[in-house]
Amino acid sequence: MSGAAPAARRAEALADRLPPLLVAAERVAATVAQGVHGRRRVGQGDSFWQFRPFLAGDAASRIDWRQSARSDRAYIRETEWEAAQTVVLWRDGAPGMQWRSRQATTTKIERAGLLTLALAALLLRGGERVSLLASTSRTAFGRVGLERLAAELERLPEGDGLPPEVKLPRHARVVLIGDLLSPLAAIQAAVGRLAAVPVGGHLVQVLDPAEALLPYSGRVRFEGVRHGLQTLIPRVEGIRDAYAKRLAAQQAGLAAICAAAGFGFSIHRTDNPPEAALLALYTALAPQAGVRAAGGR
Amino acid sequence: MIFAAPWVLLALPVLPLLWWLLRVTPPSPRREIFPAVRMLMGLTATAETPARTPWWLLLLRMIAAGLVIVGLARPVLDAGGSLPGSGPLLLVVDDGWAAAVDWSRRMTAAEAALARAEREGRRVGLLATAPDETAAAPAATPAMPVSEARTRLAALRPKPWPVDRVAAAAAAREWAGRGGVLYLADGTTGGSGWDDFATALAAVGPVEVVRDAVAPARLLLAPRAEADRLVARVAQVPRGLPAEATVLAQTGDGRTLARALASFAPNAAEAEAPIVLPPELRNRLGRLVLEGQSSAGAVVLLDERWRRRPVGLLAGEPTTASTPLTGELYYLQRALAPTAEIRQGTLAQLLARELSVLILTDYVADGPDADALAKWVEHGGLLVRFAGPRLAEHPDTLLPVKLMAGDRQLGGAMSWSQPAGLAAFAANSPFAGLTVPDEVKVTQQVLAEPGAHLTDATWARLADGTPLVTQAPRGAGRIVLFHVTANADWSDLPLSGLFVTILRRLVDLSVGVATDEAADSPPLAPAETLDGFGQLASPPPAAAAIPVRELADAVVSPRHPPGLYGPENGRRALNLSNRMPLPVAAPAIPGAREAPIGGVAPERALAPWLIALALALLVIDLLVSLRLRGLLRAATIALALFVIAPAVWAQEPQEPNPALATRLAYIVTGDAQADEVSRSGLAGLSEYVNQRTAANLAAPAAVVPGQDDLSFYPLLYWPITGDAGTPPGAAVAALNAYMDNGGIILIDTGDGGSGEGFNPGADAALERVTHGLTVPPLAPLTSAHVLAHAFYLLQDFPGRFTGDTVWVQRDQDRSNDSVSPVIIGSHDWAAAWAVEASGRPAYAVIPGGDRQRTLAYRFGVNLVMYALTGNYKGDQVHVPALLERLGQ
Repeated sequence: MSGAAPAARRAEALADRLPPLLVAAERVAATVAQGVHGRRRVGQGDSFWQFRPFLAGDAASRIDWRQSARSDRAYIRETEWEAAQTVVLWRDGAPGMQWRSRQATTTKIERAGLLTLALAALLLRGGERVSLLASTSRTAFGRVGLERLAAELERLPEGDGLPPEVKLPRHARVVLIGDLLSPLAAIQAAVGRLAAVPVGGHLVQVLDPAEALLPYSGRVRFEGVRHGLQTLIPRVEGIRDAYAKRLAAQQAGLAAICAAAGFGFSIHRTDNPPEAALLALYTALAPQAGVRAAGGR
Repeated sequence: MIFAAPWVLLALPVLPLLWWLLRVTPPSPRREIFPAVRMLMGLTATAETPARTPWWLLLLRMIAAGLVIVGLARPVLDAGGSLPGSGPLLLVVDDGWAAAVDWSRRMTAAEAALARAEREGRRVGLLATAPDETAAAPAATPAMPVSEARTRLAALRPKPWPVDRVAAAAAAREWAGRGGVLYLADGTTGGSGWDDFATALAAVGPVEVVRDAVAPARLLLAPRAEADRLVARVAQVPRGLPAEATVLAQTGDGRTLARALASFAPNAAEAEAPIVLPPELRNRLGRLVLEGQSSAGAVVLLDERWRRRPVGLLAGEPTTASTPLTGELYYLQRALAPTAEIRQGTLAQLLARELSVLILTDYVADGPDADALAKWVEHGGLLVRFAGPRLAEHPDTLLPVKLMAGDRQLGGAMSWSQPAGLAAFAANSPFAGLTVPDEVKVTQQVLAEPGAHLTDATWARLADGTPLVTQAPRGAGRIVLFHVTANADWSDLPLSGLFVTILRRLVDLSVGVATDEAADSPPLAPAETLDGFGQLASPPPAAAAIPVRELADAVVSPRHPPGLYGPENGRRALNLSNRMPLPVAAPAIPGAREAPIGGVAPERALAPWLIALALALLVIDLLVSLRLRGLLRAATIALALFVIAPAVWAQEPQEPNPALATRLAYIVTGDAQADEVSRSGLAGLSEYVNQRTAANLAAPAAVVPGQDDLSFYPLLYWPITGDAGTPPGAAVAALNAYMDNGGIILIDTGDGGSGEGFNPGADAALERVTHGLTVPPLAPLTSAHVLAHAFYLLQDFPGRFTGDTVWVQRDQDRSNDSVSPVIIGSHDWAAAWAVEASGRPAYAVIPGGDRQRTLAYRFGVNLVMYALTGNYKGDQVHVPALLERLGQ
């Protein structure tokens, strides 16, 4: 795998084509630190939001005397609630990801890493806080944060195809990117665990075209990438339809798990351009267009 | 076909087992890494794939395995039958001169026999039937392993002398009863002792004779000298069918002067081939060679005997004989001096040394002189006598015809008759073909008595039929009488050029003599001797000097191999045919099995080919297996084939486009020899032109007018053979169109200077072939013509011959760039230009010299330049005049 800095640069280049991503968050994670952008509602922050008449019960110290002096009424100066959402990203590092077929030009792990970092770049540019779903990860923000994330991504352990159990801040957002070929039960357990935190999120299944289509023929012995799993198929053409059905069932199961947990779900093939996947992620994570238009910063 | 290791074939029954093993093992599957393998677990196919190796692949492997087994059994093709007898084998090889002609075939047959003996595990003895170079008599080797015999056999070479049957029989007797005999025979008895030899061979054991039904070797005998020709004689073992042999007359350095054909009648042992050579060439003859036969018997070396002809002159009146213009010997001396060695003296002095011709002018021989002369003539001398007043009064006995007393006078104050001219020479006269000049008149002569034989005895006669030159053979010699004097007193004959020619022909009639050496001169040491293949080489160790007197009767042997003997200035030749009986076919050996030499095909081991084929099949199998496993894509194979295929297809058809290069062309005459001379001549000229000029000529082309398009060729060379017929109308039309459009035809009758000797009938043929051609008016080619300075400045235009006139167009035709469309000559240019493959000139030029050949090439260069550039050089001539005019 390539070094951290070039990976970060490639992700930046990919993310350059999209505006900064401001994660839609109904409820901001509790541990969120103060962010740089307003949430378009009154709260703690530096930016002026509105004046409102002094009501009984308000502390006298909150009266904006300069404004109050212009009229007969006393006004209280309210500021916009400025807070950053925390987004936790996970890229599957299992050995099965480090493979590509003859039809593909890139391995699944490269594509997943690229998507992860591009998403992180978008988020960081939007002022969000990004961390990796790993026990050792530290939250990153700002431009320097992307470099650090890339370096952390390099150092991540291989894993077993499922997100690790890490304590997450509540109401954070989680994006899981991997081939998601593990048994559905295991995936459901992992997603359920996340949803119980509670966090919202999105799952992206990255597949090699060969995995999607099974373009082999004849007598073939299939072997797993690292583990000793193997099977001898006497005639691959004969099982192609059965395999497609199985894959569709897996994907349908994933979609069902996500729907139950309130997660989003999308599928990406490595022979498709990464921009498409990134755009799908963007639209899934960004706030609704109406909400955004009402902001108007 | 046999197997050298047949026990390996026992492995063949294992093949079915191999088949079964290969069949039950399915082809190993392709291996694919696949992360989603978990999803594939437990999936079952809708149809089962054949898990067995395809039958054709199996067959391929079985064939490969079978080939390996058969190959390891070492099969040998054409191994021949078994060898005669058992126990050690005696290989008897004839290595005399007669075996040299097909020596390589003999060696192949002998090696095949050795290979058979090796397989049968027999030891071999070798017996060569000719004495070796150290003059050791033939001896059989002891039985030895085949490998040793093989090296001995490889060292064997044919000898330039005959086999020694007597000694060989003695050698074979040592082997009596010990085993079998394989006899590689040359098919001739090879002198005496054949029966003894055959018996000795049969005594050894069963005999197999390997020989051709007819002995191929021919023997060139000593030629016979006739008036204007040399008659080569070829001997062979008589055979039932007519045959032909070509005799080449060559110079000492191997260049061919002439060739002649000897035709054997059925069952004839001897044939003759007359070789007609101009006198100038005859003196350059070095040897006669049988074409296509490389053996010592196919070469006759010619020494000084065939060239030197000393002429003795003796006058009846010695005191005034040499007086200029009136002396009797004056004209004779001047006529003969350029070509013959002239001696004068008394009769005793003259006869003391060897003489070819003795000319007596008005000399009356009587008493002991007449006896000595008669003896000399009977031993082969040619006596030429001129009449005169003395002889007219006292005719002696040494005359070809009886003379009437007194002489006859024609013309003059007291006579009615006029001086008589000469009649044309009869065909049986050696002077036939010479033109008779009108100015020769005879005023006085001696008369022969009429008789029945007088016509046959007459070589020349007057216009009224009176004999002028008569002759009669006597013993081995001949007497010729001129009925006039040798000076201008009685006739104009000595004043004419005819006199010179007649005398030269007479001298050529005589028998040559060797260098005259005294009986006590030192023996002649061998200088160069022929080897078995007829090539001159340094003498073998046993060659010894030979006394002069014994040379004529010497029989060729290891001590006296055929070749040249004596000092450099007086080489004498000893030829194989000297005192050798004609070859006689050897009768069959009783009880012997016979096999033809050519029928013994060389053994061919098949094992390497079979193993190679098996390896190739296995490579194919490997590729197919890789393909089945998906490790090799069809595209890769296709690519490999694509890379290899162009190398196979890259060979273009060899049909040269004549328009792509400038090249000379010659007209095919149909005479293969003339065409080959034309081809090699033009090739030699093209080479010369390419070396020395900017022109770049490709290899010459052979064209047939009317069939080939002539417009590609700047110059056509057209040799006229004597038997050329009228060309068909289409050819004439094509040639006329070619000339009209600027082409040049060089017509060469090839008979210049040789008096038609080389190309009889060429003039008549020229008339025939040019009948329909629009040949413009011609004029002699002079040094003022553009052709004489188109590249080199030339004064004459020699080819193989020189001195004849070359004809070109007389008038300048501006429409055709003033280029003469036809050039006619008789100098046989192609022969002068021709080069052999070795780069040497193929034909001697006449009269000769490097200068003549260089000039011939220069004429060729001028010709090519003339054809390529037209009258360009003609314009150049005017450059000084133009410059001068510009200056004014």
